[in-house]
Amino acid sequence: MAISSVDKYARQRSLEILRKKFASIAKRILEGKKPVLIMPKRVLSNTIYDMKKKLLLLGPEMKRRSLLDVNEARKFMQTLLMASIIYEALVNDEYPTIRDLYYRGKHTISYRDISGKLHHENTWDEQRESDAVIRDIEVFLGVLREEMLILSKEKGKVVGNLIIKSGDDVIDLSKMGHGAYAIEPTPDLIEFKDIDAEFVLVVEKDAVFQQLHRYGFWKKYKAILITSAGQPDRATRRFVRRLSEELKLPIYILTDADPYGWYIYSVFKIGSITLSYESERLATSNAKFIGVSMTDIFGEEEVAKNINKLASIFGKEIKKIISKHGKKAYLSEKERRNYIIKAKKKDVERAVELVGYDVADKLISNPEIKKYIRQKKLGVSGYPWFRTPEWIKEISIFFSKLAKLEIEAMASKGLKFLADTYIPAKIETGDWID
Amino acid sequence: MGVMSAVAPTERYRAISPAEFFYKYREIAGFSNPARALYQAVREFVENALDATDSHGILPNIKIIIEKADENREFYRVTVEDNGIGLPPHVVPEAFGRVLFSSKYILRQTRGMFGLGAKVAILYGQMTTGRPVEVITSQPNLRRIYYFKLRIDINKNEPIIIERGSWRKNRDWHGTIVSMTLEGDWSRAKQRIKDYILRTAVVTPYANIVFMTPDGEIYYYERVIDKLPRPPKEVKPHPYGVDLELMKRIRDRSSFSTVKEMLMKSFQGIGNITASSLLEIAGINPDLSPKSLSDKQLLELVNAMKNYKRFRAPTSEALSPLGEEVIKAGLKRIYEPEFVEAVTRKPSAYQGHPFIVEVGIAFGGKVPLSSDKYPTLLRYANKIPLLYDEGSDVSTAVVKEDISWDQYLVRLPAPIIVLVHLCSTKVPFKGVGKESIADVKEIRNEIKLAIQEVARRLRVYLSRKLKEEEKKKKVVSLAKYVPEVVRALTIILGDGQGEEAKLLEEKLVEIVSLRTGLPRDEVYKVVKSVEIGV
Ligand SMILES: Nc1ncnc2c1ncn2[C@@H]1O[C@H](COP(=O)(O)OP(=O)(O)O)[C@@H](O)[C@H]1O
Ligand SMILES: [Mg+2]
Repeated sequence: MAISSVDKYARQRSLEILRKKFASIAKRILEGKKPVLIMPKRVLSNTIYDMKKKLLLLGPEMKRRSLLDVNEARKFMQTLLMASIIYEALVNDEYPTIRDLYYRGKHTISYRDISGKLHHENTWDEQRESDAVIRDIEVFLGVLREEMLILSKEKGKVVGNLIIKSGDDVIDLSKMGHGAYAIEPTPDLIEFKDIDAEFVLVVEKDAVFQQLHRYGFWKKYKAILITSAGQPDRATRRFVRRLSEELKLPIYILTDADPYGWYIYSVFKIGSITLSYESERLATSNAKFIGVSMTDIFGEEEVAKNINKLASIFGKEIKKIISKHGKKAYLSEKERRNYIIKAKKKDVERAVELVGYDVADKLISNPEIKKYIRQKKLGVSGYPWFRTPEWIKEISIFFSKLAKLEIEAMASKGLKFLADTYIPAKIETGDWID
Repeated sequence: MGVMSAVAPTERYRAISPAEFFYKYREIAGFSNPARALYQAVREFVENALDATDSHGILPNIKIIIEKADENREFYRVTVEDNGIGLPPHVVPEAFGRVLFSSKYILRQTRGMFGLGAKVAILYGQMTTGRPVEVITSQPNLRRIYYFKLRIDINKNEPIIIERGSWRKNRDWHGTIVSMTLEGDWSRAKQRIKDYILRTAVVTPYANIVFMTPDGEIYYYERVIDKLPRPPKEVKPHPYGVDLELMKRIRDRSSFSTVKEMLMKSFQGIGNITASSLLEIAGINPDLSPKSLSDKQLLELVNAMKNYKRFRAPTSEALSPLGEEVIKAGLKRIYEPEFVEAVTRKPSAYQGHPFIVEVGIAFGGKVPLSSDKYPTLLRYANKIPLLYDEGSDVSTAVVKEDISWDQYLVRLPAPIIVLVHLCSTKVPFKGVGKESIADVKEIRNEIKLAIQEVARRLRVYLSRKLKEEEKKKKVVSLAKYVPEVVRALTIILGDGQGEEAKLLEEKLVEIVSLRTGLPRDEVYKVVKSVEIGV
């Protein structure tokens, strides 16, 4: 296989940066100075929500990872170990996956303590550990893993009237049969050749994706249909971003009506906390949440009932969230009873993390859950990007009803309903959250 | 029994001799069965040997031999040799042949004190094997060595000399060799005897002790210190410890012309003035002859002395504590500990008897692991090891109840030994076994204070050690990564050759050593121990 020039350039650049950064560490050591790696902190407290750009960005705080700090020494060693493996892969024109890197670096270090006792220690035990080290190297070098030609398992899928070029092949994404095109780990190397679509629909659930695909949804409505199969990986997010940015397609996101679904939407739109250093490249800031929203299930009555409670937190302004004519639910009382699921404690906890303890405390009436949340989450302030009127409205319903709903339920009301009524109606009436 | 006899006209009366008494009731003296007898015989002769040496300023050389003395029967010959003061030849038959004959009936701390030990052992041997005891002895100023073969006439409580002899000394030898045969049970007594000798060796680092067993083993405890404990001095009794019987004895034996003189010369701490006021309280004319005093008057006098508040505390001159140096040397000789400290408390008194408590603590080294309840205890009374009844001993109560070992950074079980030595002219033993000391308030308190004092020093040591270990642990947790870091760096720097790697490693070792304050070669040792596997 011929190595593309894009590839070669990326390799060269990554190698140079790697060499330069680590040479300076070696130099420090030879000068007798403390060996430290200085890199941005990848933690919630150093994640900034940029209100203007509507992006989660890495803050200015730096951490010093020193070999001489007992709590950091192991991480220091792991970072250097990982850097050396990546370095070797780059030099040898390889494309390791993050799992490969995990295996290549995993070995035992045996040593004797002061009393002479022999100990064994693994460089890392689980892939979670080595994945975190890769992220550290990305921020330390300011180079993304894709640029270092590190691959990961493909997760996202796409179908639609879109012709792309990947490597040396031209692929028509409308000719995938019942299958779909797996979004490759380096989506920047894809070239868009031709397109005949009006919007992009991203569904959280793979199963729903397959149903809509077989139903011919994308053909009928001129859509590009994508699934992230749960939490979206970097490639899927980058791919969606390019569709939005380069092909100027509107992006609609369809998830479960629960805190996890809402968070998935926010990851597409503004970025994630663990990968905030990548937001500028991955986030699709005009992605819209078309459902399933709580008001689709319950209408607005529930909000109206609680509006004064919300006003006591957010002021009178909040009352504007109720539309003048009053939104009607897509589900009848009976359907609702059949489809909704009782929220689990974990769901409620997650929702509190999104919108804040004050809202939960005001709205939850179930005394047991209220007490539980008080014990677990008292003082949690919520993410600023979820403390917007639209989301407060959504989540307030969740708290007062303590119910959630999976998209599959909408499909079981009839695939036809989902494909021909629900989604088109939501798009036509602009019934989404932006 | 005497009262009962009045109603039993057929009863026959006779007195028995002390020899016969102890022959019949030998369990009292510890000779209840062959195993116990063998152990007890060794003890008696070893203690006599030590009394004849260290109490007289002689550095002891002691040899103990136990050998099988009959092919078919369980007869054992016990020989104990010392380099002590020896015995004058004319005393030998009585010393080894008459029960209740002793040189130790005086107020002075010795191991033996009843004139019993050797004789009961000899009696037991005589009764079980029929063989006589042999004694070879000479004193420092004598030119000859004397030899005796003796038997005890049980009815008369008298020695029977079977053989005697003497020969010229051609070298400067003094001391005693006692040799006797008894029926024993070596396999059952073995552990006790070894324990006893080991524990004796702990407190006699100034002695050479050789011990040869019937199994052909030889234990040798070599002298490690030339310092002897202060020898005990003979003292007069303290008035607080007096009773009517003692008073009668003094009266009967005295050649004093007046009661006042008798008081002043027979007791410690009674001068002219004190004697006068005591006699005034008792209503006795000071000029009376002691012999003319009635028992009733003596009782008045005893009461007056008992209630008198202004006596000085009893003198401790009669006591012979081991001393801190000896205790430390002894614990070192046996256990080679990493920490050892000892304290000898100031003299104290209970009920008119002076006593001194000494405590030593050994930690680490070859000190065996203690139980998880309290440290291993080595108890001594007047330098004699106490091996049994540990549970009821006052020292046990102290280490279990009065001391919280946690507070001294001792996490039980631990390699820790606590040695407690009580010396006194009267040790308050519990029961006839003489293996445990009673819980006397004053003594318990002194033991507690002594242990606390030494334990505080142990805590200082342990906390320093703990810090040092923390530091070392820290170094290990850094240094173990050095080789991996060096390897990674040299890969990235593109220099797979040794040069750069060696330099980086050296520098890293230096940096780690500088930052942690641990010597370079210790850091290097850890780095060198690392192996990177695949
Ligand atoms: N090895 C010895 N060296 C010198 N004197 C000894 C020795 N063994 C015994 N004696 C003398 O014999 C006496 C009687 O000994 P023993 O029967 O053991 O009674 P005790 O030791 O209680 O006095 C001792 O008081 C001591 O004077
Ligand atoms: Mg004796």
